[in-house]
Amino acid sequence: MEVGWEERRGDVVLVVRGLPAGAAARVYPADVLGDDRTAPRQPMAGRWEAAGTGAVFAPRFPFLPGTEYAVLAGDGEPAVLRRPPAPGPRQATVVAVEPALDVVPRNLLRFSVRFSHPMSEGWALRAVRLERVADGAVVPGAFLDADPELWDADRRRLTLLLDPARLKRGLAPHREAGYPLVEGDEVRLVVDEDFRDAGGRGLLGPAAATFRVGPDLRGRVRPDAWTVSAPPAGTRAPLRIRFDRPLDRSLADRCLRVADRPGAGTTAPDGRGWSFVPDRPWTPGPVPIAVDPALEDVAGNSVARVFDRDLTVASDDPLDPADAVVLTAPVAAGDSYAARHER
Amino acid sequence: MGSAEHGLQVGDTGMASIGALAFGPDDVLFAADSRRARVVALDVADTATTAAAGPVDLTDLDGALAAYLGCDVADVALRDLAVHPRTGSVYLSVMRGSGTAGRPVLVRVDRADGSLSDVPLDSVAHAAADLTDAPAEDDPRQDTWLGEGEAREYNGRVLRITRVPARLSAITDLAYVDGAVLVAGMSDEEFASTLRRIPFPFDGRQAASGLEIFHVSHGMWETASPIRTFVPYEGGASILASYTCTPLVHFPMADLAAGGRATGRTVAELGWGNQPLDMVAVSQDGAEHLLVSHTAYPLMKIACADIDRQEPLTEPKEPTGVPRTLEDVVGVSLMALLDDEHVLVVQADDAGVRSLRSLKTASL
Repeated sequence: MEVGWEERRGDVVLVVRGLPAGAAARVYPADVLGDDRTAPRQPMAGRWEAAGTGAVFAPRFPFLPGTEYAVLAGDGEPAVLRRPPAPGPRQATVVAVEPALDVVPRNLLRFSVRFSHPMSEGWALRAVRLERVADGAVVPGAFLDADPELWDADRRRLTLLLDPARLKRGLAPHREAGYPLVEGDEVRLVVDEDFRDAGGRGLLGPAAATFRVGPDLRGRVRPDAWTVSAPPAGTRAPLRIRFDRPLDRSLADRCLRVADRPGAGTTAPDGRGWSFVPDRPWTPGPVPIAVDPALEDVAGNSVARVFDRDLTVASDDPLDPADAVVLTAPVAAGDSYAARHER
Repeated sequence: MGSAEHGLQVGDTGMASIGALAFGPDDVLFAADSRRARVVALDVADTATTAAAGPVDLTDLDGALAAYLGCDVADVALRDLAVHPRTGSVYLSVMRGSGTAGRPVLVRVDRADGSLSDVPLDSVAHAAADLTDAPAEDDPRQDTWLGEGEAREYNGRVLRITRVPARLSAITDLAYVDGAVLVAGMSDEEFASTLRRIPFPFDGRQAASGLEIFHVSHGMWETASPIRTFVPYEGGASILASYTCTPLVHFPMADLAAGGRATGRTVAELGWGNQPLDMVAVSQDGAEHLLVSHTAYPLMKIACADIDRQEPLTEPKEPTGVPRTLEDVVGVSLMALLDDEHVLVVQADDAGVRSLRSLKTASL
C-alpha cells in the first residue's frame, strides 16, 4: 500500500494506492493512534472515493501542517506520512510591554503585551511569566487564569490581569496571599520566544521588561486635576493633556474625544498624557473634550469609580453613571503660541 | 423545530471561534463566538426521534476528538458542553488548531451509539446577535459621540453624552432564561462588570441590556467585577454567579431584568488558588442543589435553600458563608444536566486524561 498527498480543487487530499482487496482504509492522526493497532476509535472525519485499485480521502477538516497521519487498511502495518511544516521563518516580536513605566503601583491591575504580528491563543500562561529580579523566582499565581484569554480584535495585544481577588481588600484570597507585587521589589515580565504567532511560529526572540514596585494607586481618576494645554487658533498644533496619574493606554485611546473637530488623538506610550492634532486649523473658542467615565488608571480605578471601594470612605463614592465629564481647552485668537493652562 | 419563527436562516455562520453553549426554546442552541463578540443561535437539526436514556461515557475524550478532527491532541481545545433537551445527544464546542489555522467545530456525540459527527457551521439555520456595540476605529458614530444621549449641564454648557459601551473580547458564559439570552463577558480593556440580556428571537435590541453588577464583601468593600460563570435556578428566578475574584454571589432575576445596576449578595467565599469552573442545578429528593466544579477543590454541592437563607457575608473572620459539602469527586471541569438521574461531566484522571462521565445525581 502506498500513500501520498495530492491537491484537488485547492484542497489537500490523501491518496492510497494498492489497497488490499476488500479492505476499508481509515485515517488517524499518528499522535492519537500511538501503538494501538486495533484502533477501536472513530477515525478522522472525511469522504472516501474509490480510484482504481486505491482510494482518495478528502478530510472533513483540512490536514494540519507538520502533523503526522497514519492510514490503516486490513491487518497490515499503518502507512505513516507527514504534512510539510508551515513555511516561513519566525518574524513576530514583542513591540511593547505596558504599562511603559519604571515604577508601577503595588495594586497594578494589568500588564499588556503588544506584538508585531497577530498571535495564537493558548500561550499566555505558558509563555509569559512574572519573576523577581533579585533571585529570578517566578511570582506564583500572579496572573488570573483567564479563559478565554483577553486579546484585542486583531490578536496583537494580550491583556494579563493580575489576580483581582488578590488586589481587592476584604476578599479571602487577598487576606490569605496578599498582593501579587511587593512594594520595593523589582519584578520582570518575561515573554518566551515559544509564544506562537498566528501561523504557529515562535517569536524572533524573547522579551522582558523590568519594573520597580511603588506605593498603591488609590482614588478615582480626576480629570479636574489634569493640565490642558490649548493650541493657538490658525494652527494645527496639538492640544495636549497631562494626566494626574498614569492611565491605561488602550482605554485612553478610546475614552477621550474632542467634539465637532475631526482629527487624531494619541495617548503617550507611558500613559501619562494625550495629544490631539486636528485635521483643520483651530478656530478661536472653547474646545470641549469629553472624557468617558470608564477611563481607568493602571490600577483599574476609573473616572466613575474606584477599583476597590471602601464603603466607609466618602471619597471612594462613585460618580453618577450619567455624569458627563467634559474638559475645556480655550483656543485663543492670535498667532502667538501662548499655551494656556486650565484646571 | 420552526427555524423560521425564530428568525433563523440557512447559511454560513461565519463563526471565528466557539465557546460557551446553552440550549434555549425549541431546541435552539446558543453558542458564543468571543472572537467576533457575538452570540449565534443555531438549529442543530438533531434527527434523533426519540430520547435515548442511560449514561454517556467516552474515555479519553480529547483523544477521540483529535482522531475525529484529524489533529494532534494538543490542537484540540474543548470549550463547553450542552445536552440536547429532546434527544439527549451531547454537543461539544471545540477549537481545532490555533492562530490562523484555528477553526470552531460543534461536535455531536450521538446519545444512542456514542458516534461523533459535527454540525456544519458553514451551512446551518442560524441567527446572530453582535455584542461589539463600541464603535470601531473608522466608525462614523464616533463623530456623534458628543451629540446623543441624556442632556447634562457641565461647566455652564449643556452637553449630550453617550457613553461608549465596554468592548467585549471574551464571552465567559451564557444561559437562556425566560425569553432572553444572558451573556457574561470580559473586556480586554475595561475591568467591566456587565451582564447582557438579549431578547430572543434576536431583533437588534441589546443596547438596553447592559447591566452593571456589584457585590458587597463583608459590608465594607464593594466590588464591580466580571462574571466568570453563572447558573440560573429556581426556574430562572435566581442566579448564582462566580466572579473573577472567586466569591459566589446571588442575584434575584427580577433585579437583572430591570436593567441598570444590580447589587448581589455574597453568599460564599473561596480561598486563594482556586477558581470555580462551572455550575449546574440538580434536583435531589425534591430539593434543588447546585454543583460547582473548581480548579483546585473537589466537586462542591450547595443547597439552594441554604443560599436563600444565607445572610450577606459581613465579618472578615467568617471563613465560608453558605454551607457546602465537598463530594468525593475530583478532576471535574465542565458539567451539564444529562437527564433526571445523571449529571454529565468532563473529568480528568490522575494522569490528566479527560473523559466524558455520567455521575448519578443520587450519589452526589
